[in-house]
Amino acid sequence: MPTLIAGEFQKLLTTRLWLWLLLGAMALTALYASLLLGFSDDPDTMTAPLHTAAGQQTLFAVAAGGANTLTAVLAAIGITGEFRHRTATATFLATPARNRVVVAKLVTYALVGVGFAFACLVVVAIIAVPWLSAMDISLSLTGNGLPGIYLGVLSDTAIFGLLGVGLGALLRNQVATVVGLLLYRFVAEPIVTNIPAISEWTIYLPGSASAALTQVSLSTQGYLEAWQGGLVLAGYGLALAAAGSLSSVLCDIT
Amino acid sequence: MKVNLDPDQGVAGRIEVDGLTKRFGDVVAVDDLSFTVEPGSITGFLGPNGAGKTTTLRMLLGLVRPDKGRASICGVEYVDLPAPATIVGAALEATGFHPARSGRDHLRVYCTVNRLPKRRADEVLDVVGLGQAKRRKVGGYSLGMRQRLALGAALLGDPAVLILDEPANGLDPDGIVWMRRFLREYAERGRTVLVSSHVLTEMQQLVDRVVILNRGRLVREATLAGLSEGTSSVLVRSPDPTGLTAALDQHASNGTRARRLGPDLLEVTGTTAAGLGHIACAAGIELHELTPRRTDLEQVFLDLTGTLETEPS
Repeated sequence: MPTLIAGEFQKLLTTRLWLWLLLGAMALTALYASLLLGFSDDPDTMTAPLHTAAGQQTLFAVAAGGANTLTAVLAAIGITGEFRHRTATATFLATPARNRVVVAKLVTYALVGVGFAFACLVVVAIIAVPWLSAMDISLSLTGNGLPGIYLGVLSDTAIFGLLGVGLGALLRNQVATVVGLLLYRFVAEPIVTNIPAISEWTIYLPGSASAALTQVSLSTQGYLEAWQGGLVLAGYGLALAAAGSLSSVLCDIT
Repeated sequence: MKVNLDPDQGVAGRIEVDGLTKRFGDVVAVDDLSFTVEPGSITGFLGPNGAGKTTTLRMLLGLVRPDKGRASICGVEYVDLPAPATIVGAALEATGFHPARSGRDHLRVYCTVNRLPKRRADEVLDVVGLGQAKRRKVGGYSLGMRQRLALGAALLGDPAVLILDEPANGLDPDGIVWMRRFLREYAERGRTVLVSSHVLTEMQQLVDRVVILNRGRLVREATLAGLSEGTSSVLVRSPDPTGLTAALDQHASNGTRARRLGPDLLEVTGTTAAGLGHIACAAGIELHELTPRRTDLEQVFLDLTGTLETEPS
């Protein structure tokens, strides 16, 4: 298995896509963090004041929003690309036990998620430290419950890596997978989670479960406990991965 | 699972296809197909487009799941081979590359997953003549270069069995000559080479044996010599075609057959021009023309695949 994971990293790093998506995730995080900092004095802001622990937790939790969807997109492209570019033939010739390939990709993109999340947390820190200091707000990167937020962001983004691989293995069509993922994350789920009548159900959706992991949400949707959110999100990831793996094992590579 | 590569054992390097059947919807792509491929020779896997060649090769390599039947390499199904790249090298298409990855990086990925040293990538790139282009992205490769890269990928593990699907597609004449020589040397080292093609003239100069497929069914499995034997014919013109036919019929037990092509023209198979002249002379029959007609592989192939409806041999 380590050799397969090494092979997956090699595939990832020998094209440039990961770099563009990482820069995109960092830019998105920088945008979210700057907006949050810039509008912190706005009387209409929904977030807690930045001198409070809750405010600082929200600030660092935006790293998840910047990193998780693009990690899932990278993971989805990583697996659907095997079918789109027909490298699946060579991959499955080298490793006829196809579920091992899917597992290697799951591990790889979970690790990539950790890397993306880490980079995005660093971006928040680089922006927040001087900004808050200029606002005369003291910030301790190890205090105010922030380590818990880091852990939430890292695990959230890692699980999005699993979701991307699982969905990609299931659909195998690159455009459908990526467009579906983006539409779901940025259009469908935000609409559904803002319907109060069904909020009792929508807290179990991936986006809400993701918010639960960091205990931060900018929508009106409530969320589960962090560990529950983690379990629900991991459940989606593993269910999709299992279905995707099974479907990849059974499909004919023609 | 034990893979036997000992040349003293019967199955070493042998490909065995037994009763393979595959349907795609209502279409029977491969229909109860059986054949064997022996090491130390080049076997041509021939058939028109859509005959089921690629599907058969993909079933042999565990990429397509057969509805029925079994295929094995060295006595083992592909999916059970412990280190497949060192036993079987396959180049199935010249399109299986990420366009943004360099040829060298493509091969290095498969060195890693096949647990081969990374230098193998550079070695095979030199062998297939891509040493100069190896750092360029595959997206900028010509079809011929992609064919060479696909062959390079197949060679990474220095396999005992080489399976190539239409490898000459897109190669320039120099490339075809090069590949022919390369495969010949490969087979002469006692290895198994199975090459599919629909371009038969290429194959005529390359292969020792042929397996001919049409509409998913085996039409003929023979040596190249055996294939043109018995299919070469003699054209004969005589003012007494009926008498000549009667005389030839007496030699039917030797495989001699006459077919009327025109009022005074017969096509005779199963004998040579000299043999036919002798029969006619002995029977006192006048001949006006006696032309040996050597049928090339192309003609045999067209005959075999064109007449399948009436002769599913």
